[in-house]
Amino acid sequence: MSNNVRVQPDLKFVKELQAVGGDSLKKCYQCATCSVVCPLSPADSPYPRKEMVWAQWGLKDRLVNDIDIWLCHNCGTCSDLCPRGAKPGDLLAALRNMAYRQLAPLGFIGKLMSNIGGTLMLAVVPAVIYLLIWSMQAAKFGTALPKFVADGAHGWVPAVDGAVIYGGLFPGDYFIDPIFGAAFAFMVICFFVGVKNLLAGFKKVPAVYDLTGAEKPCFCSALIDTIKNEVLQHTQFNDCGEDDADVKRAFGHKMLMYAFIILLFVTGVVATGHWFGAWFLEHIMGLESGPVKLLSLLGSTPMPQHSVIKVLANIGALLMLFGLIRLTKRRQSLDPGKQGSSFYDWYLLGVIWVIALTGIGAEIFRLLNVAVLAYPTYFVHLVAVFMLLAYLPWSKLGHLVYRTVALAYAKTTGRIPMGAAK
Amino acid sequence: MSNNSILVVGGGFAGITAALEAAEVGHEVYIVETNPYLGGRVAQLKHYFPKMCPPSCGLEIQFQRIKKNPRVKVFTMADVESVSGGPGNFDVKIKQRPRYINEKCTACGDCAKAANTTVSSEFDFGTGKRKAAYITHPFAFPQRYVLDKDACDAGELESIKSACAYDAVALDDKEKVFDLKVGSVVWATGWKPYDMSKLDNLGGGELANVVSNMQFERLAAPNGPTGGKVLRPSDKAEPKRIAFVQCAGSRDQNHLNYCSYICCMASLKHVRYLREQYPDAAVTVYYIDLRTPGRYDKFKAMTEQNPKLSLVKGKVAAIAEDAAKNPIVTVENAITGIKSDEQFDMVVLATGMQPSMAGAQVPAGAPMDEEGFVVGGDEQGIIAAGCAKQPLDVMKTAQSGTSAAMKAIQTVVGR
Repeated sequence: MSNNVRVQPDLKFVKELQAVGGDSLKKCYQCATCSVVCPLSPADSPYPRKEMVWAQWGLKDRLVNDIDIWLCHNCGTCSDLCPRGAKPGDLLAALRNMAYRQLAPLGFIGKLMSNIGGTLMLAVVPAVIYLLIWSMQAAKFGTALPKFVADGAHGWVPAVDGAVIYGGLFPGDYFIDPIFGAAFAFMVICFFVGVKNLLAGFKKVPAVYDLTGAEKPCFCSALIDTIKNEVLQHTQFNDCGEDDADVKRAFGHKMLMYAFIILLFVTGVVATGHWFGAWFLEHIMGLESGPVKLLSLLGSTPMPQHSVIKVLANIGALLMLFGLIRLTKRRQSLDPGKQGSSFYDWYLLGVIWVIALTGIGAEIFRLLNVAVLAYPTYFVHLVAVFMLLAYLPWSKLGHLVYRTVALAYAKTTGRIPMGAAK
Repeated sequence: MSNNSILVVGGGFAGITAALEAAEVGHEVYIVETNPYLGGRVAQLKHYFPKMCPPSCGLEIQFQRIKKNPRVKVFTMADVESVSGGPGNFDVKIKQRPRYINEKCTACGDCAKAANTTVSSEFDFGTGKRKAAYITHPFAFPQRYVLDKDACDAGELESIKSACAYDAVALDDKEKVFDLKVGSVVWATGWKPYDMSKLDNLGGGELANVVSNMQFERLAAPNGPTGGKVLRPSDKAEPKRIAFVQCAGSRDQNHLNYCSYICCMASLKHVRYLREQYPDAAVTVYYIDLRTPGRYDKFKAMTEQNPKLSLVKGKVAAIAEDAAKNPIVTVENAITGIKSDEQFDMVVLATGMQPSMAGAQVPAGAPMDEEGFVVGGDEQGIIAAGCAKQPLDVMKTAQSGTSAAMKAIQTVVGR
């Protein structure tokens, strides 16, 4: 008996791949320039040459379960030096896009999130929710653009000579926090399933890529190591590409990530202060000691501009703008003959731009007390934040979780070394 | 009345062949060659395909035919300035640079002995040096020295002049511009090696022991700078481990976006040069596809019967060097899927053929492709031959020269 391996190409998969950004993969002639010039690719079974041939052959199983697509940080050096313009970097990006679309449950969201029409349809959900709240509140106050003054007993009460108070129009306790809490929970559950699928895929592929010979860490310590090195310090990203543009990109990305961390921290402080301090400790437990008062004060919005938390939030907003400008400029300067940009790339940049600009705009208009600008801006801000948060597992921002998990897993199999071993 | 004469631009293998074929059936032929010698790239080789002859072998007989044929006129160090008119009636302006050494030269070499100034040798692609008064190679045709007047000061020029016993040094030689009336033009301007300094990831022109295939040819040629012994440039040591990097800047849209046809064979030929000199040297050829067209496949089969030769599928994409100037090659073996750094004593980049006309325009609006190859022009009376048309080996270049002669004759006859 001959022992020939028959390749079973999945042609539909090849076409799907071409559609999500791997359109030039058939130009590859397997010279392996890409694997050599990649600054991150390991010595044993380096990427992305093998992915190119798998893609040409339609070996879907190998590709969708390939951990190496997450090791790539897409500097584009491979595509720059590719003699055929086959854009291996774009293929790996396309495979990641495919993962965003397919790993998490509720596949229809993934499908909708893969193009602008579908995404706009998904944006209708938060838009309708917040419009509904707005119109209900408008009916209650008799105006869509109410101003408020503080009233100790009843919170915010409408007053013609009052101020723009977002918490007055969209009360956090009843609308903002429960909706975002639900969206957050929804996102976490979907991510949980997505990560399970991701890991199950990795386990399907025989783990043969061990070069280190070192003792394998457990997943937990690998994850901590990954967060400490690859995530917080961008150790992989910093090594990705040597050009000035690559260095700038890594720094811009790091600043954007720090902006998110700062804003997450600020939100966390406010939520803790409000729900734990003001509601639980003060209201439910009836405590009135100094630290409790301070905590509940931290959760009270709007904050004065000199508040430490507010200053921190503003720093976060500026960092976000800085990172966004860097990353957007770089993406605009890409030579489309070498490296393309997919809807996933532009959506993520776009939604963060909207969040940053409407966030800063909402703050400025509030301080200027211009209700007609402030409330609509805040409304768009709410919609954009909802979009980013609720649909996170299906967007490019999903790499936040998938890449982190994949890098940690890669350490448990010895595919990449622990941070300290570098 | 149509003009019967034919201008051949380029005195390499294609041009010489076309000129002789036309002249030997009665046409007056002018060969205009930019170098001081005829024979083109073939003259720079150690051996050439298909029979591994030294270049003097094939060229010698052609030079004899030229010498014996009064209908062939040769202008060396000359370039075409402009072409006007049309098929059957071209007016071509030629500019000839001064050689400063006239036809009285007997190639005795006394002028070179008298010269002190040495400069990098163009003929050797910078692997060696030449004097200010020089002859590129022993069988150069015409057998006449050249004086690089600009490289010398007045005193040196005087001593060179007085060293010549035959009064052949003509310091007052001037640039000449003259017109030729011809009926058709054979365009055989050939090729140049792709500029390896553009291959920065391969250290082209930067790393001492990374040479191009044409430089390697000069290192192996008996009339080359090392007398035919392959020595690595940095320290003149005998190389023990040599790598060949195929498709260095070829089949690459960032460089030459086509296959130059003969570089794989050239590298296999170079492996044979090495085998003769260093039977124990370890040689590795890194390739994308080893292309051995037609009967060359047999040559490959015979060459690869050698345990010290390894053929590795994988394109070299990075070369660095260590403290001892040993090139370190990074490559992924696409069969095993292992990426590794390999140290060698010397690396040869198999660079491709770029048409000499790349970036310029052939006269009379003859169509060219984006790479600079001439892809037509027969109707305009400009008939391309040899590597000006496409990358070819010597055998096919000769065929294309004959074919161009036929078309050139058809252009001038029967009008």
